[in-house]
Amino acid sequence: MGLYRGSARSALARGWKVVAAGAVVVALAQVLFPVTAAAADGTLAGGACLDCHGQPGLSMTLASGETLELYIDPGVYAASVHGDKLLCTDCHTAITGFPHPQWNIPNQREYNITQYELCKRCHFDNYTKTLDSIHYAMLSAGDLRTPICTDCHGAHDVALPSQPRAKISQTCSQCHQAIYQQYVNSIHGKALIEENNYDVPVCTDCHQTHTIVDPRTASFRLESVHLCSNCHSNQKLMEKYGISSQVVKTYLNDFHGRTVALVEKETRDIWVEEAVCTDCHGIHDIQQVSSPGSPVIKSNLVATCGKCHADVNVNFPGAWLSHYEPGIDKAPLIFFVRWFYRILIPFILAGLGIHVMLDLWRRITNR
Amino acid sequence: MATARITDNGAMKEEAGQEYIRRFNAGQRIEHIVLMVTFIVLAVTGLAQRYYTAGWAEGVILNLGGIEFTRLIHRAFALVFTLGAVYHFGNVFYSYFVRRRRLAMVPTLKDFGDVVGALRYTFGLAERPPQYGRYDYRQKFEYWGLIFGGLVIIATGFILAFPVTVTKVLPGQVVAAAVEFHGFEATLAVLTIVIWHLYDVIFRPGVFPADTSIFTGKISRERMLEEHTLEYAEMTTAPAGPDAGDSPAGEDPAVPDRQG
Repeated sequence: MGLYRGSARSALARGWKVVAAGAVVVALAQVLFPVTAAAADGTLAGGACLDCHGQPGLSMTLASGETLELYIDPGVYAASVHGDKLLCTDCHTAITGFPHPQWNIPNQREYNITQYELCKRCHFDNYTKTLDSIHYAMLSAGDLRTPICTDCHGAHDVALPSQPRAKISQTCSQCHQAIYQQYVNSIHGKALIEENNYDVPVCTDCHQTHTIVDPRTASFRLESVHLCSNCHSNQKLMEKYGISSQVVKTYLNDFHGRTVALVEKETRDIWVEEAVCTDCHGIHDIQQVSSPGSPVIKSNLVATCGKCHADVNVNFPGAWLSHYEPGIDKAPLIFFVRWFYRILIPFILAGLGIHVMLDLWRRITNR
Repeated sequence: MATARITDNGAMKEEAGQEYIRRFNAGQRIEHIVLMVTFIVLAVTGLAQRYYTAGWAEGVILNLGGIEFTRLIHRAFALVFTLGAVYHFGNVFYSYFVRRRRLAMVPTLKDFGDVVGALRYTFGLAERPPQYGRYDYRQKFEYWGLIFGGLVIIATGFILAFPVTVTKVLPGQVVAAAVEFHGFEATLAVLTIVIWHLYDVIFRPGVFPADTSIFTGKISRERMLEEHTLEYAEMTTAPAGPDAGDSPAGEDPAVPDRQG
């Protein structure tokens, strides 16, 4: 007992030493790296820069006649994600003193585009991802409307991009207004906006964040099935909403899904004609399948099938089992055909097999 | 005497010391080759689609140039298969109603007795196996399996190829059912051929490595005597018609007049 108490005491003593050493390190760091200390009280961006740029109304006129705002609200910057991390000159590396170097800035947009690459000093991975995006391809082609880092994230007021979650789609809506309107009226968008639902996809869940590829390509069309499948094959997630998680499986068992899966294995460059999820359910305007506006509700099915299959009548949609697994209640005909053969085939094959074996045995023993 | 007459008709020949009897005419042999080729191509291209997630199926489809081309091949051969079926039924019809010949593939009571007889022989309860005519019960079973299976396959294949047209008159679920019928029937057909037909014509002791009579049209007198005893007996006693041995599918060349 005493032995135990003694060892507990010495352990306690060792623990105190560690804490004391840690405190010394922290104190030393505060002295050696005053930047960190300054950050703590929000005065990081202050100093000499704010002497001028902290003055409301500070601006300059560009060659285009536009006014470039030069005032930075210290409070806004301090509240941004960078407020306690970066000095002005960490980003504005070209400015090392006063007076600043003279720049020939034709207009506001070109100024922003020349400056946005400053982000990559720290965010190199995300910057690299943007180089594969449709946005960067457009920028390379000379379209200056293309979004750059600061268009989505802001410049001095950078905040967490996904807080709240609806902010993500709202960011995209700055340019993609029409699609955003479809989205907010869809089952996914409504759940996001009205319920702040974290399960529904926002723009970036399907289109990616920085590697946003052109969604009009053959390969994106093939990929779209996987995008839907990511959530709709997730049994746990689908059970939460009373939705079948077999929809992708049943799709892949049918003509359309088989074809799409096989084309995908062959090449991703063929525009597959067979229907993918979005051809029937819609893309940004996806409705609950039981909603009267849904293209896949029974009353709309003939028109939906008719998008591809010319001249179909009211019988035709019945050829598709609506993602149901055949059973006695759903598609009984198919259910019974399956069981008929599941019993018939082994029965016949066993008979044939036995017959062959007996015949072989007889012939061998005859020798 | 009888042997000489058949020889005159070209039904029996002397080759390398072995006597051969003509069993299948040119039309029947071509029909079999067409059926064999279309069956194999349809089975490979079709089952690859049905079991498309299997590695071999994927390999078949990708090596054939993709799913679209695989389907094109399947449909082209399906058309040939269907035309073959139309030819066959036309021929049977012509033989029976116009030339008034006996149809040797029609099952008789004797066939059912032969099943029992063959089983009894197998288990040593009979001294000798049953004696068979032009086609034994196994060949008839296989033939009728092919006929019914082929009809199911052709009908459901048509539904799958023209779903929009079919649903003009039939409910949509027929299309979904056709998928099941078509695939299961094909699976059954292929397994039957592998287990039953290939045993009978390739692996069976006595014919191994292959029964070539459907390709050459000839069967040895020895095998004829053993496997088609009754047919041989009829051939050697009944008077041969002017076109004996030139009969179309499924009929008995030795008995030109079923009423005679």
